Amino acid sequence: MRKHLAFLLALVMVLTIAAIPAYAADEEKVLNLASESDILTLDVAQTTDDYFIPHNVFDRLFEIKVNPDGGTDIVPSLVADYSVSDDGLTYSFTLVDGVEFSNGNPLTAEDVKYTFEHLLTAPKACNYDIAEEVVGAEALLDGEAEELEGIEVTGDLTFTLTLVAANAGYIAELTSPAMSIVDKETVESVGDFGTEPAYTIGSGPYIVSEWVPNDHFTLTRNENYWGEAPDADVVVMNVVPDANTQNLMFQKGELDIIDLDALDSSIIDSVYKTTYADSIVPGYRVGVTFMSMNENNEFLSDVNVRKAVQMAINRQSLLDNFYGGDGIIQNGMIATGVWGHNDDLEPINYDPEGAKALLADAGYEEGQITFEFSLDSSSGDTTAMVYQQIAQDLAAVGITAEIKSYDESAWLDFRKTEEMPAFLGTWTMDYNDPANILGTFFSNSTSGRSLNYANQEIKDRVDAASSIIDDDERMAEYQAIEHAIVVEDAAVVPLYERAHLFCIGEKVASFVPHWAGFSNFFVRDVEMN
Amino acid sequence: MAVFKTKTAAVSEELASQIGESESLSVQLRRMARKNKLAVASAVILVLLVLAAIFVPILSPYDATVGDPSIRLKPPSGAHWLGTDEMGRDVLTRLLYGARISLAVGVVPTLISMVIGVFMGVIAGYMGGKIDYIIMRFADVMLAFPSLLLAMVIMYTLGGGMMNIFMALALVGWASVARVARSETISLKESEYVQAARSIGVPSGRIIRRHIFPNCLPALIVLFTLNIPSAILTESSLSFLGVGVQLPNSSWGLMVNMGRQFLYNAPWISLAPSAAIMLVVLCCNFLGDGLRDALDPHLNNE
Amino acid sequence: MSTLKSIVRRVISSIPVLIGVVLIIYLILRVLPGNAIATMMGEHYNAEAERTIIAELGLDKPWYVQFWMYIAGLFTGDMGTSIKYHKPVSELIATYFPVTIKLSVMAALVAWVVGIVCGVISAMRKDKLADRIGMGFSLLGVSVPVFMTAMVLQFLLAYKLGWFPIQGTKEGLVCYILPAIALGWSSAGSVARLTRSTLLEVMGSDYIDTARAKGRSVSGAVVFHALRNALIPVVTVMAIQISSLLSGAVITETIFSLPGIGRLCVDAISGRDVPLLQGSVIFATVLVIAGNLVADCLYSVLDPRIRKEV
Repeated sequence: MRKHLAFLLALVMVLTIAAIPAYAADEEKVLNLASESDILTLDVAQTTDDYFIPHNVFDRLFEIKVNPDGGTDIVPSLVADYSVSDDGLTYSFTLVDGVEFSNGNPLTAEDVKYTFEHLLTAPKACNYDIAEEVVGAEALLDGEAEELEGIEVTGDLTFTLTLVAANAGYIAELTSPAMSIVDKETVESVGDFGTEPAYTIGSGPYIVSEWVPNDHFTLTRNENYWGEAPDADVVVMNVVPDANTQNLMFQKGELDIIDLDALDSSIIDSVYKTTYADSIVPGYRVGVTFMSMNENNEFLSDVNVRKAVQMAINRQSLLDNFYGGDGIIQNGMIATGVWGHNDDLEPINYDPEGAKALLADAGYEEGQITFEFSLDSSSGDTTAMVYQQIAQDLAAVGITAEIKSYDESAWLDFRKTEEMPAFLGTWTMDYNDPANILGTFFSNSTSGRSLNYANQEIKDRVDAASSIIDDDERMAEYQAIEHAIVVEDAAVVPLYERAHLFCIGEKVASFVPHWAGFSNFFVRDVEMN
Repeated sequence: MAVFKTKTAAVSEELASQIGESESLSVQLRRMARKNKLAVASAVILVLLVLAAIFVPILSPYDATVGDPSIRLKPPSGAHWLGTDEMGRDVLTRLLYGARISLAVGVVPTLISMVIGVFMGVIAGYMGGKIDYIIMRFADVMLAFPSLLLAMVIMYTLGGGMMNIFMALALVGWASVARVARSETISLKESEYVQAARSIGVPSGRIIRRHIFPNCLPALIVLFTLNIPSAILTESSLSFLGVGVQLPNSSWGLMVNMGRQFLYNAPWISLAPSAAIMLVVLCCNFLGDGLRDALDPHLNNE
Repeated sequence: MSTLKSIVRRVISSIPVLIGVVLIIYLILRVLPGNAIATMMGEHYNAEAERTIIAELGLDKPWYVQFWMYIAGLFTGDMGTSIKYHKPVSELIATYFPVTIKLSVMAALVAWVVGIVCGVISAMRKDKLADRIGMGFSLLGVSVPVFMTAMVLQFLLAYKLGWFPIQGTKEGLVCYILPAIALGWSSAGSVARLTRSTLLEVMGSDYIDTARAKGRSVSGAVVFHALRNALIPVVTVMAIQISSLLSGAVITETIFSLPGIGRLCVDAISGRDVPLLQGSVIFATVLVIAGNLVADCLYSVLDPRIRKEV
């Protein structure tokens, strides 16, 4: 009987919500946004993807600030002051005084410690790479400890944090959305707050006031916010799965900011770069789109074949024809805008004749080299076009790349087996340090990426590099590693760093995209008219 | 007892019940050709389309899978009668190559599902009892799934590719055929000549081959023409959901889906294959109607 | 056999079908490559976290143990918890169901109106131009992929003319009109065909022939009378269409951003969310069964002589 009641109640609630016009008061500044899919959880410990809530409802110890010239700086946020020991292992932090969560609880060192513990022990925790570097994290993960040994609370606002191994990029890692500080009291009382807006308590500028799954969610201003109040009073994130529908909504004035990522460049050219030319806000998806080549593959294990593939692909044509030229060709894996990016890396030239000659010299006959080129069918129409064009480019030098599409889940499952021969990947930086990309793809702890990079010396050097304390020395080492991976070993084909364009409507005065081009931007960086 | 029926099953049973067995098939077809010009025209169009799909390599100077991205999304012109697509390929050429796949997707799985469905349905109807119960409950299970979801789950399991599309569509389609075949069989089983054959000890297999199956045929032919469009449309929906024919090959459904986002700035990409799908679906329907009218004694006596 | 008794029999005979549906979905999902946890982690795949969570959710147990636990849960009204949405499946279905119901009912209305009007016109002017146009119009909806109809309607009536909202559910029932037209039109063809053929059959029957033979024209009243008889199978076929409406809803819900069961099912499949998919498919199956039950009852109530097949 209670089940029936709950069902009826839910039915009545949904009908009521559907019947009320969204917001009657017109004095509030309402920012209407759209997203292709709904968020799945409000708790960042359980996701590596849904960062809109962490960004706007929570704060971190440090943030990345975008300068007017487009460069980025790491700035303290909840941290007032900090110091690092000489061996690079121990950090001492002092928090900003007077910060409160949206429920009025003060934010203390205990909350920071609890955040690390929560990341490691939350139900369905999957975003603990950064917390895992702290002493005692393994014991906590394995259930052998109750507390995180490596964080010692020394006062209301002071604590020390000890790492297992020195990591010069750790402060940069603390800007990652994963490191959003939660309220210990609230999270302890509910355990899993992932689906409960009422228990999503952060110290950020907004609170989650409403969530209608797969329809929309609403953020309203956090009256307790310790920083400068954001301009938009209410943010409505509509779930609009179809990019075309978003396009029509924006042109009709129903969206105030549109993410142009899912639209074809021809539509951006014909509609946005003409009618809305002054309203386009450019940004970059900081990270490289690359073609991965599995060294376990019969043909791709040969460096000559990999070099031929590098030379056969007309990257400029891909960028110009399918992305309207909005992006930067990349010759390495450390993208433009990432700390340590190398502008002087040898360019990879489009040279189909050279590729043919290289293959002939290596003793391959035309049509002999063939491998599967695996496509994730959820990755969008433009990606599918790029796949076809690359296959066509490779066919021109006598390499058969046979496109096979999988649904996302099957594709990930296949890649996990380490057997996927070739695919296109894009890695958008989580934090601004080359360790993020090189460590993910070319270290000894790389798993399930179907790359099988074979150069053991380089893999060891990637692992060792993060403990080099001197920044210049560390960046020089990363650049040397990058050179070995891309130029000497030709392990991947770096393609380009794509622009991530947004367009703002009349209600928005200015908007600063996320530094790395995440779709989940900071609403506090939006100014309204 | 009918517990489950889909739309097609219900319609088909309705049709099947109207179809008589008095005249030979060829006589009925000839009468249709005389009376129903629309059905004949439909048949002619379908034949022409098949011919165009077969001879497209001779007819077109372009390659269906190789494009020039610098001329993508160009409107119809003398060089490209239906314009170019998102990869700079000739839309007309792709349309005709796509016809090969789309017509195959319409015909092959429908045939497979007819074979499975007729086999299961005739067995169930003729044997009755437990076998009937088991087969028909199994059919009910298949019919109870929303068909698109079932096809999607099968495609995800098997992965993309033509053979797998055939399998998925055939697995989705057989149950409704089985229902029609079963009800036809049950009514034929009661007929005097089958009763007579049974009483003189003719083996069941022979009765089914010689008496039951040929008499089911008119109803099944109609059902066949009506099921082809639904297979083509289901494939287009599968393409919309991201599983189906493998790029850079084309089916009409895939073309409509890839061209969908250009509906406002390059409408020829999606409208051409949409029109082609529409044409085939309408032709199949009119042909099916014509066949039904020709094979239906109730409507012949005017 | 009394009507009540036959209803009870039908409900009972649907139980093995339900169990079959659950089992088949379960087995198919077992062989489906990919799992919910790895899919959720996507680009940030972490093998260790995947293992921990799979153990946490009991997904590492043998399939028959999981299946048994699921069936046992069903008897206590527990449909499990969605892996992807972290919520009870029953709660999710209760949230999404009203949207799909509104959409389906309105789509059914569209299919009825378009289908019956076209069917009547075609039947009355059999083999004339109006017959072709009527059937052609109703078949147009069937012959164009649903997403094309939906997008064209959205562009012309919502975006260009502004008569309807482009998407969403915020403005109430008016939001459902366009998706319902796109969806309903695609079913109108079969209704029209059935209306036409049953109407022709009724009109071809003795009393109308008699009327014709006496030199009377087939008046509106006679057509109306014929239509009443002709509508019986049409009414029942509509109840049976739930399954195909649900299939079409997947696509219309995506284009018009409606949070309904169709999208939930697609989400569940692509996210490998076994409990959610089982829950939604069981739910859809129950709807189909209910629709068939209503259809059968209508049949036997409206026209008891039709059902002879037992």
